[in-house]
Amino acid sequence: MDWLTICADGATTPCVAPVQAAYLVGVGVLALLLVVAGRRSRDFATATLSLMAVAIAINIALGSVTALLRLPLYLDSVGTVLVGALAGPWAGALTGLLSDLVWSLLPIPGGAGPTTAFFAPVAAAVGLIAGFWASRGVFGLRSGDDRIGGFLALALGFAAAVVALLVAQATVGVGPAADSDSQVRFAVTGLVIVAIGVVVAWLGRRTIFARVGDDPRMRLYLIGATAISAAAVVFAVIRLLFAPSAYFSTATFVLANDAGDPTIIDLRGLALPDPLGLVVALVVAVAVAALAVAWARRGEHARFFPVWVAGATTGVVAALIAAPIAAGVFGGVTGGGTDLLVALFRTLGLGVFGSVLAQGLTSDPLDKTITFTVVFVILTALPITVRTMFSRGALTVDA
Amino acid sequence: MRPALRIDGLTVRYPARREPALADLSLAIEPGERVGIAGRTSAGKSTLALAAAGLIPRVVRAAVTGTVVVGKTDALHATADALLGRVGIVFASPADQLSGSKPTVREELAFGLENLGVPRAEMDPRIDAVLADLGIAGLADREPASLSGGEQQRVAIASIVTMGPGLLVLDEPTAELDPEGTDAVATLLDGLSAAGTTILCVEHDRAILERCGRNVTLDGGRIVEGTPARPAIGPLAWAAGRGRMGATVTLDRLGFRYPNGIEALRDVSLEVRAGERVAIVGANGSGKTTLAKHLIGLLRPTSGRVLVDGVPTDDRTVQALAQTVGFAFQDPGDQLFERSVEREVGFGPRRLGRTGADVANLIDAALTMTGLPGERATNPYDLDRSVRKLVTLAGVLAMDPALLVLDEPTTGQDPEGVERVGRIVEAMAAAGRTVIAITHDPAFADRWFDRTVVMAAGRTVDRPRPGA
Amino acid sequence: MTRAATGYLVPGRSWLHRRHPLTKLLGVAFVLVAAFLLPPVALIALTVALAAIAVSAGLVRPVLRSLRIPAVLVASIVLVNALFYPGGSDVLVAVGPLAVTREGLTFGVVSAGRLLVVFVALMLLLMTTLADDLLEGLVVHGVSHRIAFVALSAMQLVPRMRDRVDRILAAQSARGLAVDGSTITRARALVPLIGPVVLSALVDVRERTLALEARGFGARWGRTAYRVVPDSGLDRALRIALLAAIALVALTALFGWLR
Repeated sequence: MDWLTICADGATTPCVAPVQAAYLVGVGVLALLLVVAGRRSRDFATATLSLMAVAIAINIALGSVTALLRLPLYLDSVGTVLVGALAGPWAGALTGLLSDLVWSLLPIPGGAGPTTAFFAPVAAAVGLIAGFWASRGVFGLRSGDDRIGGFLALALGFAAAVVALLVAQATVGVGPAADSDSQVRFAVTGLVIVAIGVVVAWLGRRTIFARVGDDPRMRLYLIGATAISAAAVVFAVIRLLFAPSAYFSTATFVLANDAGDPTIIDLRGLALPDPLGLVVALVVAVAVAALAVAWARRGEHARFFPVWVAGATTGVVAALIAAPIAAGVFGGVTGGGTDLLVALFRTLGLGVFGSVLAQGLTSDPLDKTITFTVVFVILTALPITVRTMFSRGALTVDA
Repeated sequence: MRPALRIDGLTVRYPARREPALADLSLAIEPGERVGIAGRTSAGKSTLALAAAGLIPRVVRAAVTGTVVVGKTDALHATADALLGRVGIVFASPADQLSGSKPTVREELAFGLENLGVPRAEMDPRIDAVLADLGIAGLADREPASLSGGEQQRVAIASIVTMGPGLLVLDEPTAELDPEGTDAVATLLDGLSAAGTTILCVEHDRAILERCGRNVTLDGGRIVEGTPARPAIGPLAWAAGRGRMGATVTLDRLGFRYPNGIEALRDVSLEVRAGERVAIVGANGSGKTTLAKHLIGLLRPTSGRVLVDGVPTDDRTVQALAQTVGFAFQDPGDQLFERSVEREVGFGPRRLGRTGADVANLIDAALTMTGLPGERATNPYDLDRSVRKLVTLAGVLAMDPALLVLDEPTTGQDPEGVERVGRIVEAMAAAGRTVIAITHDPAFADRWFDRTVVMAAGRTVDRPRPGA
Repeated sequence: MTRAATGYLVPGRSWLHRRHPLTKLLGVAFVLVAAFLLPPVALIALTVALAAIAVSAGLVRPVLRSLRIPAVLVASIVLVNALFYPGGSDVLVAVGPLAVTREGLTFGVVSAGRLLVVFVALMLLLMTTLADDLLEGLVVHGVSHRIAFVALSAMQLVPRMRDRVDRILAAQSARGLAVDGSTITRARALVPLIGPVVLSALVDVRERTLALEARGFGARWGRTAYRVVPDSGLDRALRIALLAAIALVALTALFGWLR
């Protein structure tokens, strides 16, 4: 019954069955969470319900602003994130869910029609996570707030993970190759790297960053965290692509044509040998860090760091949930301009599932980060009248 | 007989506000009475209305001392259920009163009955009775979202009345309505009063207050006798942008037809000299707003020409015209987005390319003219609706326009607010600027403007000042 | 005047229009399950069945017109899979450096077919059901009426909010806000355009909440319903049949998967 499998039949990078099983479990968990959200909705205050209705309309109406400005953004979760921030994760989840359902009921010009309903779990997850992050204070960290230590620890953990990646590449050799053995090795190495990052972050939170809230240099720390994270992201991406035994070093792809004479696309030339590759990556990372510092020092920009952590992680989760839906229901395609990206990933050898997952991981974190930023800016302008209506309004930042 | 509403020593203090909204207020209203509550903005009128309706402190958080008794029920400590069907409240924004979830007016009226748990069989008779009594039977199958403001407000009142309350509280019900809608609401209230409903009505509109049996004036959270004397707003002066000349406006056989075929303007010709003050009046649909939108380039003529300072608007973008024309829109909610009045007012001048000290001067001058220097750091949405309108007006003034166009600047303003807008018009004209205002208030037009242009069905009828 | 709440509704009195919303919803669920769990040949049977329903309900023209909505999506599904199917080796047509493979084309066509069938089923539901009836039907069967309220009032708010966006664009342009030009310029216009929409909507929430409370929305006791959605013996029978059909398909698929 191949019709049930998420992965494409005959793909060159075969899916790992446990991954598939994990997704089905994830879907079950999500369904459960939504039932919980539905139950909890009985206790929602009238103000929360009014807010939800307004937020859903905002989600749908903002599409016309981005179309007007011809910006390649979605911003269809602004309302959902707002509800998560003001009324909590369960209200946020329900807002996301109902949003996609309402979207299906209305003929929106330029919209995908009733099939939008299939992505309701993604929108629900966004609302849930936004509520979680809001309770961690991303929208309103003030001096004296101890939780900032958590975000600094995350930056440190991320940097540690990238260092671990570097070590792994030098020793084990990390890169997604065609055979399933090395696929498993890639997955395991990845998990170890993530674990190292998490442990370092946890330790950092317990020790170095435990009492940082009162520190008057909080702003400097945030600037530092922004710079380190930006540099780490850039460094990791470069190493994942260009290092020996990384992506491009094994990338030879065969495209058939009708003469039976295969055309081979050889990307191996793009890989840079160490130590040159390492130096290049470091230089670029340092340059990015310098730019980040210059930017973060201006005005209130340092406060954006937690917001971006929240946005990026939400985007990653959204992509993870959306990929199986797109692969299973929509043939691995999104129906928008991002399909060009999907096609690109297909030519790089990724299967139906892999290509749409890669596309999601590329564009969703960015989109959600921008959404969170917009919500953050709007919340700074929130009048007291609104803030006092919602129990969590006090969590939002005082301008 | 037991009073319908009895308030004793009521003090209400909102969180994070220094002054109490109401201070030791006592009031008794007999059944069937119709009492009007007047007073300037922020005198505490809305708070009084909310307390009488049992929404404070249950829904609106505030520290409360004193008692409010509706009939036999203690409104301050009652649960929602205890007060339903005894007291109802209607607010100022028509569209926000309605549930927004029902497809017809009839079902909208049923909304309250559904929440009350009234058996289905009883619903239709009650709804039919209210539709007939309030004279809105013709609207029964209409879609609530498609109704005019006045119609929506009447439906809102009807949907409360359907729940059968003996006491009806209204908080500025005509603030957002045109004269037609205001009349309709006033007539409806007459009918309700005649049928024995006790009415407590907070209002600015004199027409409504005159029809009340008794009027109570609030000032600073207390009941006062007569109208409190306020220092009059003397003549103002526009302190920034000296030496700029007012723009001339020429409408040369202007015609405009909407894409759906409606001809909103027919062959309108008008000359406005620099520094002149012109008021444009007319009924709904006469084309006044359509005409005004041509002045800022939001609409382009389908025939004829519009010239500002001799240059046709056709050739210029809205943003370019904004350098010359300051357009104050009717709904402040269409513009406000900054976290403080100061930043909001500074938005316009910065978009026009002004910088630094220049912008600061303009902001200062605009805030002084609108009487808002004390509110520089306040979030505009924390201010009363009528004050928000002054904030957007300040934002327009700060752009130092050669031509100032005002779209219904006095709706929702208390008498002091209307006076201030008039003084602003006078000051801008004294500074040499041209002012054109759309208004449905003939007294305002006559007092503050050199000339009144009357519009009907897309054409103009010139009407000189009486006595000129 | 077109009502947002009506959505795709095509007014009529056909047998499909008169069915209870829940029956139609179960019908869509059955089509969904059958399209995705059964072999592709089932799609043909489903298409024929849906066509027959459309004809008998007099909705052929509206359904055909509605096909332009997923047109781009369907084209994308077919093209991306036909041209870029990793592991496809049986080449049918070469298009420059790209090649249409049989495996890819099959997968693309089948995926598109499944989606289209579900789409048509959804359209048949939406064209014959008022949103108010759909939600009231669900409320009767246990969905919270407060959730239904949120959905319905959101639907009525959308056109209002879009009108508001237009007005905000006009008002902010009149203050000199540039909305054309470089990407930076346009990105800078984002907050001044979104801000008023969101903030004034949030401020309105206060008054809407008070108005709702004044109409008893927060009351804890049971709510009665004005709108009556007619149910019938035929509907109940159809629902049982559909539930059985869904169970049958699911079991068949499970069997085949385990085998």
